[in-house]
Amino acid sequence: MTKTIMVVDDSTSMRQMVNFTLAAAGYQVVEATDGVDALAKISAQKVDLFLTDLNMPNLDGIQLTRQLRAAPGYRFTPIVLLTTESHQEKKIEGKAAGATGWIVKPFQVEQLLAVVKKVCP
Amino acid sequence: MDIAALQIKMREAFRVEAADLLAELDSSMLELESRPQDADLLNRVFRAIHTIKGSGATAGFNEMAAFTHHVEELFDEARMGRLTITPEMIDLALRAKDLIGQLLESDSPATQEPACTQVVAALARFLPHLTKPSSNGQTKTTRAEAQRQRHKIFFKPHPQVFFSGTDPVTLVDELCALGAATVTAQVAGIPPLESLNPEQCYLAWEVELVSAQPAAKIKEVFLFVEDESEIRIESRLEPAPGETGKADPVAAFLNIAGQSLEALDGFLSHLRGATGPDRECCKNYLRILKTFQAAASRQNHKESAALLEEQIHLLDSAITGSVALSDETKGNLEEGYQQLVALIQSLRENTPYGSGLETPATLQPAVAAPTAASVADGPKKEAVHVAASIRVDQDKLDRLIQSAGELLVARNAFPILAKRLALEHGLSGMGKEVKDAGDHISRIAEDLQAAVMSIRMLPIRTVFQRFPRMVRDICRTQGKEAELLLEGEDTELDKTVIEQIADPLVHLVRNAADHGIEAPDVRMQRDKPRVGKVTLKAYNKANNVVIEVQDDGRGMDPARLKQKALEKGLITPSAAAAMDDRAALELIFLPGLSTAEQVTGISGRGVGMDVVRSNIRQLHGTTTIESRMGAGSKITITLPASLMVSRGILVEAKGEEYVFPIESVVQMVRLSSDRIHRHEQAHFATFRDEVFPVLRLANHFACAGQLSETSWPAEVPLAIVQTNRGRVGVAVDRFIGQVEVIVKPMRRDFADIAAFQGTTIMGDGRVALVINPAGFI
Repeated sequence: MTKTIMVVDDSTSMRQMVNFTLAAAGYQVVEATDGVDALAKISAQKVDLFLTDLNMPNLDGIQLTRQLRAAPGYRFTPIVLLTTESHQEKKIEGKAAGATGWIVKPFQVEQLLAVVKKVCP
Repeated sequence: MDIAALQIKMREAFRVEAADLLAELDSSMLELESRPQDADLLNRVFRAIHTIKGSGATAGFNEMAAFTHHVEELFDEARMGRLTITPEMIDLALRAKDLIGQLLESDSPATQEPACTQVVAALARFLPHLTKPSSNGQTKTTRAEAQRQRHKIFFKPHPQVFFSGTDPVTLVDELCALGAATVTAQVAGIPPLESLNPEQCYLAWEVELVSAQPAAKIKEVFLFVEDESEIRIESRLEPAPGETGKADPVAAFLNIAGQSLEALDGFLSHLRGATGPDRECCKNYLRILKTFQAAASRQNHKESAALLEEQIHLLDSAITGSVALSDETKGNLEEGYQQLVALIQSLRENTPYGSGLETPATLQPAVAAPTAASVADGPKKEAVHVAASIRVDQDKLDRLIQSAGELLVARNAFPILAKRLALEHGLSGMGKEVKDAGDHISRIAEDLQAAVMSIRMLPIRTVFQRFPRMVRDICRTQGKEAELLLEGEDTELDKTVIEQIADPLVHLVRNAADHGIEAPDVRMQRDKPRVGKVTLKAYNKANNVVIEVQDDGRGMDPARLKQKALEKGLITPSAAAAMDDRAALELIFLPGLSTAEQVTGISGRGVGMDVVRSNIRQLHGTTTIESRMGAGSKITITLPASLMVSRGILVEAKGEEYVFPIESVVQMVRLSSDRIHRHEQAHFATFRDEVFPVLRLANHFACAGQLSETSWPAEVPLAIVQTNRGRVGVAVDRFIGQVEVIVKPMRRDFADIAAFQGTTIMGDGRVALVINPAGFI
């Protein structure tokens, strides 16, 4: 079955770029603008993987990860953080919150797909 | 996937957002100048710059991203309270902002370089410890030792590993894909069942891996779990057989290929033997094939990957079916092996390591360093492709579309005016001039309409691109083999249609692959090609877009459909008897009818074709079906290419339905018949001190003969419409209601009938005429 991936980022173009890439690889993509938006959208369909930015208004990536882990049905779902190199300490914090892994921004198309394939084969 | 095309799309998407962010920066940085301590404002500025940098680099604007990094640093420092923003800094930041804009526009970033260097130097004065951005996240593959090594890997995940969304088995699988692996699971840690916590991981694994991949590659597998898991990797050199000496992906692949082929040869000689291999032996072979296949797809060596896929499938179904390998399967395996040998041979001969020749074209995507090459010729390609775009509020666009639509209606006045000039005023020369002017405006109006509608048009590619994956997944789970052919992906449809056509198409393609295509062995028995074919095709036909979903599968049995419908009480026996095959096929669109022999997880729950048809209908389209037993089925969807939605009033007159464009109806009233007067042949009505002519819609179009003498009912439903010559009351039998209509122009032969604007398809599939009030009298 087609896997559904939710991309959470407050940058429209980042969401679009991730969306293009994943859609071209055959995934179903749902976009959310921040953590609050993401949580509002998780009941509409089963999400198989989350890709989330860290620095977002309203609810950031770390808080989102924590809340997803507490949400029914998403305790074991892979969550990958989109981080920048300056966020080394955030990676550790993210891991502690229950994130599966991370992709360092900026990333190449191949890198993104490799990570997606890795955590959500 | 076409990565270059993706890059172009990405760059365009980024340019649009960056333009917005830069505009916002302009104002927020100026605000910041007057309130340098405002934390919210600082954060906003930082985030905008941060996004420009991060998204920009992903979109391939490397120079711009590197430059923006310096500006970001300035605001990051300020955000952290380590420096205070001064007007000089804002000056500099604004200049940097302008440069970022120029870098985005420009095709040759070198032009801006001196200016950028200046700004960076100036920024450095505020940031004494200014650093260069760390690498752009591009890992450079080392071309070091590619010696095959034997790695002994021990992996014990943290007991709570599942709560980080990690499935440790996928990591073990990943290891196996790196080379030839033997996996041993350590199960000693598993407690007795009563004390077992299913959400905890008790297992550990030991993997013996022979691989040409460097140890770093193996460590990379554990990237996300290395901190909390117990991981030990011991590596030692494996004596390499023969020529491969360098850690080059191609060489590594050839290495795996060589080993695999060797093993396969052994297996096949086993196969030729009298007793044949046992299940265990087949499984081993299968494992080798899978490793080989993984390596081939990693290498992007499509031919061999596809071949292997086929082989795996052959053997897999033989094993799971626990049937003895048929001679045919054996033959196929043998043949596949020979082809693989040939492929690998030609690859070997064509690689620089084999003969010093250039890398063959088929391998270039995998071998060429992706970053440098694609960046270098990026701007050049883009110059051809780039479409300057502006973002427009949808409402504004809709208003424009509306006006263009109204212009199309308004032009209908010209021929009528021309006729009146000629007939009533005797000015036939003048009439001709008016008509010519009208024709000219009419052409312009049509062009305008087409141009405006094209703004909303999108290629159907966006919908089609999800299907290859879907068909592949269905085949994998159902043990089928099918290829999906896509045609006409550039066919354009209105944005609304694109959004709503996806679901019905998903259903149809699923049906085709899941129910239509037979299992490979069944197909072979029926003398059909082993691999089924599903075709998804879109094309323009007149004003419509046609989408066809066709399969060469088993086809539908009209008799069975009838029987099914009878059993479910959906039709009566007499109706069934009277049905021909064509009509019987139509039964598939009845709610509650599903003919799948067995309901699979994918489709066949009986909530299908009826929903498809009603969805298509909502888009004012039609669905037809053709099917031949044993030869396959074809579903054809015909949709209007563009949606010209307007509102209308639906009325009934003498059993016919008509639509008045809502903008033409001044008022709808029920008038008592004593307010309608007759003067010679004409009728008039008085309403609110106004006298206007009354005509009967049914008589006007003279349906069912001339009935002008019949008397009026006690209450007359009257639509008061605005025409070129003032208001007219149009008597109808009944007002039905307000409807949304898409007006389609009349076909050529009827185009001259001024009384009608065109036709529209109602929600239930019937056709109604749309009245042109301008042509009423």
